Amino acid sequence: MWGYLGQRVWQGAISILGASIIIFMISRLSGDPILMLLPNDATPAMITEARQAHGLDRPLLVQYGIWVQKALTGDFGRSYRWEMPALKLILDRLPATIELAVFGLLFSVAIAVPVGVMSAVHRGGWIDRVGRVFAMLGQAMPAFWVGLLLILVFAIGLNWLPAFGYGSASHVVLPAIALGWYPVAAQTRIVRSAMLDVLDSDHVRLSRALGTPERLIVWKYALRNAAVPLLTMLGVYFAAMLGGAFVVETIFAWPGVGRTVVEAVFSRDFPVVQAGVLFTSILFVLSNLLVDLSYGLVDPRIRDAR
Amino acid sequence: MMKSITGLAVSLLAALPFAAQAQAPKPATGTLTIAFAAEATMMDPQRSAAGVDQYYIGQMFEQLIRTGPDLKKRNWLAESWEVKEEGGKPYIDIRLRKGVKFHNGDPLTSADMEYSFKRASDPKISRWTHLQAAVEKFEIVDDHHFRIRFREGDGSYVAGDLTLWAIPKNYIERVGDEEFGRNPIGTGPFKFVSRTVKEEIRLEAFDDYWNTEHRPTVKHIIAKVIPEDLTRVAAFKTGAIDWIDAVPPAMVEEFKKMPGVKTAGFVAPNNMYISMDALNKDSKFHDVRVRQALAHAIDVDAIIRRVLFGQGERYVQVSKNAIGYDPDLKPYPYDPRRARALLAEAGFPNGFEVPCYNLTTPREPYQKEVGEAYFAYATAVGIRCRVQGQEYGTWITFGRRDRQGHMEGLYSNMWGHGLPGDPGVAWAGHVHSYVHGGGWGMTSVHNDPELDALVKELKTIMDLEKRDAMIKKIARIKHERVAGGLPTYRPVVTLAWRETKVTFSPWPSPGFWRGLQEIGIKQ
Repeated sequence: MWGYLGQRVWQGAISILGASIIIFMISRLSGDPILMLLPNDATPAMITEARQAHGLDRPLLVQYGIWVQKALTGDFGRSYRWEMPALKLILDRLPATIELAVFGLLFSVAIAVPVGVMSAVHRGGWIDRVGRVFAMLGQAMPAFWVGLLLILVFAIGLNWLPAFGYGSASHVVLPAIALGWYPVAAQTRIVRSAMLDVLDSDHVRLSRALGTPERLIVWKYALRNAAVPLLTMLGVYFAAMLGGAFVVETIFAWPGVGRTVVEAVFSRDFPVVQAGVLFTSILFVLSNLLVDLSYGLVDPRIRDAR
Repeated sequence: MMKSITGLAVSLLAALPFAAQAQAPKPATGTLTIAFAAEATMMDPQRSAAGVDQYYIGQMFEQLIRTGPDLKKRNWLAESWEVKEEGGKPYIDIRLRKGVKFHNGDPLTSADMEYSFKRASDPKISRWTHLQAAVEKFEIVDDHHFRIRFREGDGSYVAGDLTLWAIPKNYIERVGDEEFGRNPIGTGPFKFVSRTVKEEIRLEAFDDYWNTEHRPTVKHIIAKVIPEDLTRVAAFKTGAIDWIDAVPPAMVEEFKKMPGVKTAGFVAPNNMYISMDALNKDSKFHDVRVRQALAHAIDVDAIIRRVLFGQGERYVQVSKNAIGYDPDLKPYPYDPRRARALLAEAGFPNGFEVPCYNLTTPREPYQKEVGEAYFAYATAVGIRCRVQGQEYGTWITFGRRDRQGHMEGLYSNMWGHGLPGDPGVAWAGHVHSYVHGGGWGMTSVHNDPELDALVKELKTIMDLEKRDAMIKKIARIKHERVAGGLPTYRPVVTLAWRETKVTFSPWPSPGFWRGLQEIGIKQ
């Protein structure tokens, strides 16, 4: 078990290093922030001086080496635009992003699992059809459209929930639905097909023959067997939600990392982009690691194999 | 020898803000939540880089002069000022208002303004050093009297409201630049309370604000940052917000009809135009007939009507109310036939293909769509556009001559100034030819020696009447030669507030039209 964990942590570290190299190089190929920082009449000497001050005159590999060295001590540089430590800018926004991703994921699971299970149990019935249409709707509509519709109905029309902002429990409901509805379709299909496989298996037939109540067979024994592929998918979707919540964050004025990083890209604010991507990568790796470890919880065969 | 160049009637105006000073003002009360579409990057007025910073900075900091609701200059922190001349060089003699305090209780003195000048001239701090380039010396006469001496005339200094912000020297020296940026202190009507990036800024009324006539009546302001248009509108409709900035153009009419809601629309101090490569001799736009063809090809009025829902104002060279506005100068009429004929005369009967660069980041409402319309109209007469979208970072670097040798083709562009406006600084940037390291023509793809000489001369003119005449002269030549780009429109920005709850008298000037000191809660 510990050997397996060590191996996964090592692989995760390599992934994070790779992501940091790619974002470092790509951001620098995309443009020069110095011209955006200096006055219009900046002389070539001033431009050179500013470039030196920000260390942008050195070879890319040297710049990267310095960045890694400082990053390891917690110094991710200062935002060119906001003139504050990039790390603080990202860490201040990170809880909001994690909160949104967690609730988005919870929403998707809360819909996908019962709909997937019921669709498998009542294959071809009205529950199966309605459930699949609802799930497909989320995938068919882009998040910005879903977000605007939710605001229109639940904020303006019914006045039940706030249209924007961050802070209370009610603020997270609409953004979480807008973010979490999209993966519902895929998750539903995974649960449904895994459940169909399990429900057709010999041990389920044996359980039925032994008179085990159907409720227990479906929701305890079969669902647990069908959970492994869903868990794999949840890890991927959670990571995607962390990094891809920009649209939802913008629609709901949610103060997360996504908006901060995308705006930093526009202004070539390299330290913020690098810190943002690095922390998103770390969360991505961690979430996948957690998923890997959780397989053992739902399936003893995997636990024993390790 | 000392002589007065212009009186500017400054003393008369000086008395205006104090008509009600003798009355004891009511204490500010209540809390109001408002929404802006964008947020400040910097709260330090001299480190500020973006126009949007002014919305917030303008609540906490003040300058020597301010543009009033009638678009006329008013003395603000300057009690009086006058442009004079000594030894053949101009200087501005300024008397500072007495009794003005910073939010920490320190009095405003000439030493603070001198410190402001020094910071504004330091390229390590300020991004606006070019505005101080002509100043030779800052001379303190006494605590409330100082002179700004110029090595040569600088008309933009007067046109730009004397440019200097009142900042607290002692406080900044004590806490440092970084802390000042985090916890800004000015003389303005509101004190800074807190800020959460991407979320909100909180302000509190400054009880010792010097201008009792314009003292805030709302104690606490919570300014939410809601970048998405429809969400900002939704926040207003649900009652979470009682005042919003930047109503989306497509919804202005709906807002006007909304019961209990009041709106005010203002022409923004941003001038949209199409830049074209007239510099490179191989460029098709080097020929004035091709530039005129483009001017005839685009139906700007239709774009304003259809793309901007009427939320734009056409301008020819200089906007209405600005110094040098010439009502006799008319835009090129939309005439595609004439455009094709001009192209044929220039040797392009079958037209030609050209790259056309469009800004896709919404710096102004529907700007991407407007660019697409420009280029579709150009294509229709034979200037066939290969449209290339650029996000903001690419776009702004692309336009800079010190970065780019020269730009090929067409480029959707803009230039800004304050209100009522003076094009001097902007023309130095995009009409005057590029001078490497000299600060001229930083975004220019034009080279016209006659216009270069006139723009250079304009910079030195501080007398407003002479300046007005010179701007008119340049505008006419620029218009005839379609030099330095084709001006199109100025966006209209609409503010809205709940009339049943809020009182508001906007001042139509950037930073101040959102002047929250003019906002109140109905009792």
